[in-house]
Amino acid sequence: MSYQIIRAGINLYAVLKNLEDLIAQDATCRDLIAGKKLSIQFLVKGGPKSWIQFENDRCTVGQGRMRNPSVVLWYTSPEHLNKMFDGKGNPIPLKGFTKLGFLQKEFSQITDKLEYYLKPDEVRDPSDEYIRTNTQFTLTVAAFSLSEIACYDEKAKLTASHMPDGITQLRVLPGGPSVYITVKEGRIMATKGIAENPDAVMEMKDYRTANDFLNGKSNPFKAIALGDVMIKGQTPMLDSLSLILGKVNDYVG
Amino acid sequence: MKTYTYNKSKELFAKAADIIPCGIYGHFSPAPLIPTSDYPFYVEKALGSKFWDVDGNEFIDYMCAYGPMVLGYNNPVVDAAADAQRQKANCATGPAEVMVELAQELVDTIPIADWAFFAKNGADMTAYSLMVARAHTGRDKIIRLKGGYHGTAPWSQSPDHHGITFNDARDIIVGEWNNYEALEKYVHSHRGEVAGIISTPYHHPTFADNEYAGEGYWKKVESLCKNEGILLIVDDVRAGFRMHMGGSNEFFGFKPDLIAFCKALGNGYPISTLVGTGELMNSAGNVFHTGSYWFSAEPMAAALATLREMKRTNSIQLMFDIGTKLNTGLIDLAKDHGYTMKITGHPSMAYYRLTDDPSLMLHQKWCGEATKRGAYFTSHHNWFVSAAHSDEDVEKTLLIADEAFKAIKDN
Repeated sequence: MSYQIIRAGINLYAVLKNLEDLIAQDATCRDLIAGKKLSIQFLVKGGPKSWIQFENDRCTVGQGRMRNPSVVLWYTSPEHLNKMFDGKGNPIPLKGFTKLGFLQKEFSQITDKLEYYLKPDEVRDPSDEYIRTNTQFTLTVAAFSLSEIACYDEKAKLTASHMPDGITQLRVLPGGPSVYITVKEGRIMATKGIAENPDAVMEMKDYRTANDFLNGKSNPFKAIALGDVMIKGQTPMLDSLSLILGKVNDYVG
Repeated sequence: MKTYTYNKSKELFAKAADIIPCGIYGHFSPAPLIPTSDYPFYVEKALGSKFWDVDGNEFIDYMCAYGPMVLGYNNPVVDAAADAQRQKANCATGPAEVMVELAQELVDTIPIADWAFFAKNGADMTAYSLMVARAHTGRDKIIRLKGGYHGTAPWSQSPDHHGITFNDARDIIVGEWNNYEALEKYVHSHRGEVAGIISTPYHHPTFADNEYAGEGYWKKVESLCKNEGILLIVDDVRAGFRMHMGGSNEFFGFKPDLIAFCKALGNGYPISTLVGTGELMNSAGNVFHTGSYWFSAEPMAAALATLREMKRTNSIQLMFDIGTKLNTGLIDLAKDHGYTMKITGHPSMAYYRLTDDPSLMLHQKWCGEATKRGAYFTSHHNWFVSAAHSDEDVEKTLLIADEAFKAIKDN
């Protein structure tokens, strides 16, 4: 059961989080929501809750319940939600029947594009633009998956329980995407951006390096030892996070 | 002052990473050497207190191979004894006389020791100590203390580590260092279940200040163990023969039942030992624990020579003095530059930290700057000095440290 809950959490909190940047960076996707103001609430029985808001040509993704969403999609279980993400199931709409057309057309095209950017193994000769986007999205999925895995995976729970409080920064240089992970009393939270005073830092020297590193295509020991990936600060925090990050593929697949 | 480059080290590592897991694995992994660009990865030769890397750079070594080097690399006395034995027999179809001589030397040197058992690594002996405790008491549970390092066997690692399962640690209870009340509470609420308590003689984790136990802690633990039929095991693998020739417990004034030694025992020759009280001899003998190279005579001869040479030269005092001199110099230098250097642990193997940045990044930079000028400092682990480190070494080190402080200020 924890496997399905974790997958559901990752799908809603980590995978969909990339919609914010997809809309911001991809003109085609942005056009699909141009001028629209609507929100979608995802409710999973016995599982996570999240929402997506399209407004002012932007997308915001959040956790929990939102006030007065345009559309409410209900799932009978985390497995039900995961089946939808696997393309094998449909939600149960509880509200917003007049918006179903948007879900089936525009929103579906947007999530197809998201899926395209998240499956680099299916792209032959990826362009630099693809690499940049995949890197950014993979970093986001990794970072925002941590909390779910640490909540429900037995070993990750143990790891999180003995992590000291602090902030770990993950960055792609130069000027690439960045996230930071805040650990407080065993709870883990991801945030996009640059932390003011991180306790530990991991910097990947460029997009290609980051892409290979995050997708498990490079030798991580070589990357760190030879300086392509630079770590500093309270690196035991990075060690602990990497134990949890190593489990992402168990759930994302 | 010239700063080093490490082209050959890096080339060699790049090749190694393709054919050896991690490239360089374990405690020699480059990952904690931050930044990796400031550190050599491979050693070409070593002598006395120094080593030279494969790029020809010279370093005053403040890691001493992470502890084993205690009399100096290629110490002539130790090496002569080892060579003499090797020319007779090393790994043969039976142990050599030196095994008995070494056991006697240990029994004569270490007050609690009535017997000695030999292996190669510290972890061989920490594992053995658990087995002896379980065999002797008929109980299963072992208490180890959080942050204590006893090797890498599954029982000694956290179950969330790669390759470790919850079953591996099923009977291992992790307690808190220096918290006698919690220890006593657990023992009393699990009366008759605990076979042994294993701990380093003082707390020397990585990435954190080292810490002696509080006043009276060890005597209380010793007493608790005696009253409850629990074996007290000291893992003296790292600190052994650096604080007291009789075992670090003598420095702190308590008597364990078993002590594991390794590192300094052979001045770099591969040997470890578990020593224990006479009461445990039969139980120790009942446990089947062995290894292909555990009877090799050359390291035993080296260990015998090391112990005798350490006594002859009063190495414990030498290391204490040189470590104290280094520490005083570094604290003063840091202060001169407007920084605060905190030094914890025993002077022969202290942990150093610039407290001005809690993330350790400043300290890492400083250690890196010093290393690439010829004083090999790590930022994550306690350092080690040896009886081969001289006043001249310390003077040169302080010059290097001074340059390193200037470098971090400039940056």
